Amino acid sequence: MRQTIRALGWIIAILWIITLLLPVTVAFSLMKLLEAKNIGTQEPTISFSNGNFTLSMPFYINNTGFYDLSDIGINIQMGKEKKTISAASTHLLNVPVGKKADSSLNFSFSLEELVLKDSELLTNDTELDMNASLHLRVAYAIAFEASMGFTTHWGVPFHNLTIYDIAYNSTTHVFSFFINFDNHASYPVNGTLTAKLYNSTNALIDSATQNVNVPSGESFQTSFAITIDDPSNMTHNGIIRLYFVDAQISEKEWTFP
Amino acid sequence: MSENETKTVFRRLGLRIAKATLVTAVTGVLWLVLWLLISSLLADFPEYLALFAVLVWALLFFTFAIKVSEGTIYKYILIIMRGFFLIVYTAYATNCGVRTVKIEDFTLTVEFIPLLALMITINLLAIARGLLQAIEFTSQSPKD
Repeated sequence: MRQTIRALGWIIAILWIITLLLPVTVAFSLMKLLEAKNIGTQEPTISFSNGNFTLSMPFYINNTGFYDLSDIGINIQMGKEKKTISAASTHLLNVPVGKKADSSLNFSFSLEELVLKDSELLTNDTELDMNASLHLRVAYAIAFEASMGFTTHWGVPFHNLTIYDIAYNSTTHVFSFFINFDNHASYPVNGTLTAKLYNSTNALIDSATQNVNVPSGESFQTSFAITIDDPSNMTHNGIIRLYFVDAQISEKEWTFP
Repeated sequence: MSENETKTVFRRLGLRIAKATLVTAVTGVLWLVLWLLISSLLADFPEYLALFAVLVWALLFFTFAIKVSEGTIYKYILIIMRGFFLIVYTAYATNCGVRTVKIEDFTLTVEFIPLLALMITINLLAIARGLLQAIEFTSQSPKD
């Protein structure tokens, strides 16, 4: 029995040493990782074409620590007033000691999705709530999850979108109006702008399409002159609906005496 | 019991208490050094310092009580009690191995369930060891 007691004593001592050393070495390992910027992101690329918004943010992990890193995940959530607009996540299985892993975080959503969630996200600059989190497990034993909330400025592609100088020539049956907006987004607005005319019974009178290419930070102004094929559909009042690609971005009522 | 025997018993008890106090004081100094190291790191988290303080005071109590009860069956009962206390208290203080620290908009969650499981295993082994020591103690004749 004495030998069993002695053996148990040794086992307990060894296990306590392991238990106390593990967190200390894990902490040193993490410090080594963070000090030399072995975890980081690269320049994100943002593109906006055919009504699809794509953001790609490459990141890397160079494991210079003492232990393997596993269960690595990055999540980013973008929202406004506690309403999630978009979320992206990526998962890496394992980064052994001395190895480097590259991956990227991709956001992708269509303009239609964005309009459905909040139509003002296309026409009014706002501050978006972002939540980024990083999860990783060190030595297959201790897991860390760091998350941070911050706000980011959201520059909209159709800031101050206005439809003005609406006129109808009953002789030539030409319906005309001007539109104007500023591209406050960090990417160019490239796609088709469609104007659809509806009469007082909400029936489509006619439509016209223009291709637009507005660089970031620039203003845009254009006019539409739509020749009405069937003037009998024309009423004294109605609605102009403006679409970019397939998403409705604005509408304005018109009335003629 | 004669007066001399009573004096001897009191002297032995006094010596035992003095020895236990000395051992507890040395242990206390070691914990104090650790406390000083930790308190600067955890200055912004007083709740963790409070949990640590409870652990230190409890362990000092057990150190003193175990030393005083040396040579009796109570020593092993206290060792087993210490094992149970450490299992329950570490599980409680570590929130079952998941702790979250929040600093303004930054949140850090640490999950160390495997480490907690290891600590519980160690304490279970300590309880088993205490039980074996108690059995061995009771099986010994007064002559031994």
